[in-house]
Amino acid sequence: MDVLTRNNVKVAGRGTQPMLFAHGFGCDQNMWRFVAPAFAEDYRLVLFDYVGSGRSDLSAYDATRYATLDGYAEDVLDVCRALDLRDVVFVGHSVSAMVGVLAATREPERFAHLIMIGPSPRYINEAPEYVGGFERSDIEGLLDTMDRNYIGWANYLAPAIMANADRPELGQELAESFCSTDPVIARRFAEATFFADNRADLSKVRVPSLILQCSEDIIAPQSVGEYVHRALPASTLRLMQATGHCPQMSAPEETVALIREYLSSRDGD
Amino acid sequence: MATDIGADRSSGDRGLLDSLPCGVISFDDSGRVLYANGTVHTMLGYTAGELEGGHVERLLTIAGRIFYQTHFFPLLRLHGRVREVFLLLRTKSGTELGALANATRTTRDGASVVDCVLVEVHERRKYEEELLRARQSADRANGELQAQARVLQQTLEQLREQAVELEMQAQQLQEQTAELEMQQEALQEVNDQLLSQRDELERARAVANEANQAKSQFLSTMSHELRTPLNAIGGYVQLMEMEVQGPITDDQRQSLDRIARSQRHLLRLVNDILDLARIEAGRVDYRMEAMDVESVVVSVVPMLEPQLAAADLTFEATIAPGLRARGDREKTQQILINLLTNAVKFTPPHGHVSVRAHHDEPAKQLLVDVHDTGIGIPAEQLASVFEPFVRVETGQTHRPEGTGLGLAISRDLARGMGGDLTARSEPGLGSTFTLRLPAA
Repeated sequence: MDVLTRNNVKVAGRGTQPMLFAHGFGCDQNMWRFVAPAFAEDYRLVLFDYVGSGRSDLSAYDATRYATLDGYAEDVLDVCRALDLRDVVFVGHSVSAMVGVLAATREPERFAHLIMIGPSPRYINEAPEYVGGFERSDIEGLLDTMDRNYIGWANYLAPAIMANADRPELGQELAESFCSTDPVIARRFAEATFFADNRADLSKVRVPSLILQCSEDIIAPQSVGEYVHRALPASTLRLMQATGHCPQMSAPEETVALIREYLSSRDGD
Repeated sequence: MATDIGADRSSGDRGLLDSLPCGVISFDDSGRVLYANGTVHTMLGYTAGELEGGHVERLLTIAGRIFYQTHFFPLLRLHGRVREVFLLLRTKSGTELGALANATRTTRDGASVVDCVLVEVHERRKYEEELLRARQSADRANGELQAQARVLQQTLEQLREQAVELEMQAQQLQEQTAELEMQQEALQEVNDQLLSQRDELERARAVANEANQAKSQFLSTMSHELRTPLNAIGGYVQLMEMEVQGPITDDQRQSLDRIARSQRHLLRLVNDILDLARIEAGRVDYRMEAMDVESVVVSVVPMLEPQLAAADLTFEATIAPGLRARGDREKTQQILINLLTNAVKFTPPHGHVSVRAHHDEPAKQLLVDVHDTGIGIPAEQLASVFEPFVRVETGQTHRPEGTGLGLAISRDLARGMGGDLTARSEPGLGSTFTLRLPAA
C-alpha cells in the first residue's frame, strides 16, 4: 500500500524545508486550513490524515498497530520516509504533540523543531504528584458519549452514505460529520490518546520544541503545559491569549504569529 | 461587540422563545453565553438569566467538555454548523442530562455567534442505549461468530482430510468388493458343481441301492439254486455210506467222508450268504423283547461245551443277575454263538474263554464282553474284521474252519437291534468282542 494514498498525504507550498502538520483526536487535516496557508511561501507543507481518520484508507487500519500512540508515530515516520523528509518542522495538535515526541525519539535526525499545540503527556490524574485534569471515569464518560454519537441517529447511516459515491450531496453531508465515521476506530483512538502516559518519553527528546499553551484549556490545562516544558529539554513555552483547546481554529492569527516568531528566532540553529 | 440573540428582540419574541419545548442558547466564539431561553434554564435547574455571561462549558459534564472541544467545536469552525450531536449536559445540582444539539455559527453585527438548539433525549437516549447495547452485543456476537467460523474452518479442513481418507477407503472397499464378487462367482460355480455332484451322488446312490437289491435278490436265488443240488449230494453220500446200494471199501468210505465234509462246508457258506443277503436287503424281522441277559448266555453254553472240551479250553461266564436288555432273543443267541465259536477257534489249547456283562448307565446300554486268550488281531486288521469274507491272518498252517461271514452277520444283527458290535485286541494276548444292546 502506497503511504501517500493510505494517509491521504497532501503536499503544497513553495519552500524547501518541510513543515509537517499532524491533526489531533477527533479531527483530520482540515483543522489546519486556517494556519497552514500562512507558511506556504516559506515552507514545503505536508498534510496527512492518520489511518482511520479523515480520508485515509480505512482498509489499512490495524487494530493492534493503532492500539497505542506508537502506531500513530509510525504513520508520521512512514510519511517522512515516503517523501524523504529531512529537517522537518513538525506541528502537532493535542495528542499529535506526543506522537511527535515518539517519532522524534525514534528518528531524531529527521526533525528540526517540534511545535506542540496543547500538549499533554498524561490526561489522567496521578495523585498526588501529577494533575492531568481528568479522572478515569471522565474518560469513560467520553467513550460513552462517543459511542452515542458515532452510532447514534446522526451517524448511524454514515457507512451507507459513504457507499453512495454517485450522490455528491451526501458526500457533503459526510464532510460535515466527524472526521472518523467508524465508531470502533474512533473509540480506539480515544483510548490510545486518553489512557496514554508519555511522561517518561519527554526527557528523551533531543529536538528543540515550542509549546503553545492556551488559556482556559480544559483538555490541556496550563499546569500540564508547564510540566511538559520542564520535562522537555530545549523547549520554549508560550502562553496564548486564545482560550479552549483549538487555537489553530479559534485564534489562527495568534497561532501563526507565535510559530513564526519562534522559528525566526531559531534561524541558524 | 457580540450581540444577544434575545437582547435585540422584543419582549414578545423572548416570550415566544421561552415557550419553546427545546432549549435555545447563543454564545460567542470564546464560549461566553449571550442568551439562553427559559427552557434551558428550567432544563438545567437555573433561575432565569443565571446562565448568561457564563461560559458555555459550565453546561457540560467533563466528558461532555472533552467531546465539545474535540468534536463539536472543530465541526462548528470547519463547517459552520453541527447537526444532532449528543452532549452530556450537567444541571446546576450536578446531575447528568442527555441532550441532542443542533448549532449554527453565524455572523451578527460583525461578530460570530453560535446559535444552539438543545433537545432533551430521555426517550431517544433510551432507544440509543438499546441500540448501543444491540450494537455492542452484535459486535461481541460477531467476534464469537468469527471465532466459531475459524473453528468451523478448521473442522471443515479436517472433514476434507477425512473425506479424502474416506474416499481412499471407499476405493479400497470397491476393489475388495470387486474381488469378493469374483470370489462369490467362483463360490457360486463351486456350489453349482457341488449341487450337480450331489445330484450325481444321489443318482449313484439310487443306482447302488438298486444294485444292492439286485445283488441280494441274485444271492438269494443263487443260494436256493445251490442248496438243492448240495442237499442232493449230501443225501446220496449218506445213502452210499449206509451201503444201501451195496458194500463199499474203506478207501471209498474215506472219499465219501471228504465229499460229505465239503458238502457241509458249502452248505454252511450258502446259508451264511443267504443270511447276509437277507439282512442287507432289510428282509429280517426282529422280535424285540426285554431279555434276561444271564438266561440268554446260559442258553448258548451247552452248544459250545463239546467244542470247548475238544479244544482243551476253560470257560467262565460272569453275569450279574437281573441285567436286562432289549433285543431279539434268537438273534442275540446267534451272535453269542458266533463270538464264542470264533473264540474257541482262535484260542490255542489250555487257553481261557470268558463272558462278562455289565450295565453302561450313561449310555443306557448293556455290554456283553466275549474275551479269549487267543492269538489276537493285529491293529491294522481290527477295523476290517467285520467286513464279509475277511479272515484274520493267523500265521497258523492250519486254517480254522469258517465262511468269513460270521462277524459281518453278527454286527449287522446287533445294529439291527439298535446296538453294535465292536472289537479290541492285543496280538498274542487275546481279543475282546463287545456286544452292545439297549438296556431294557
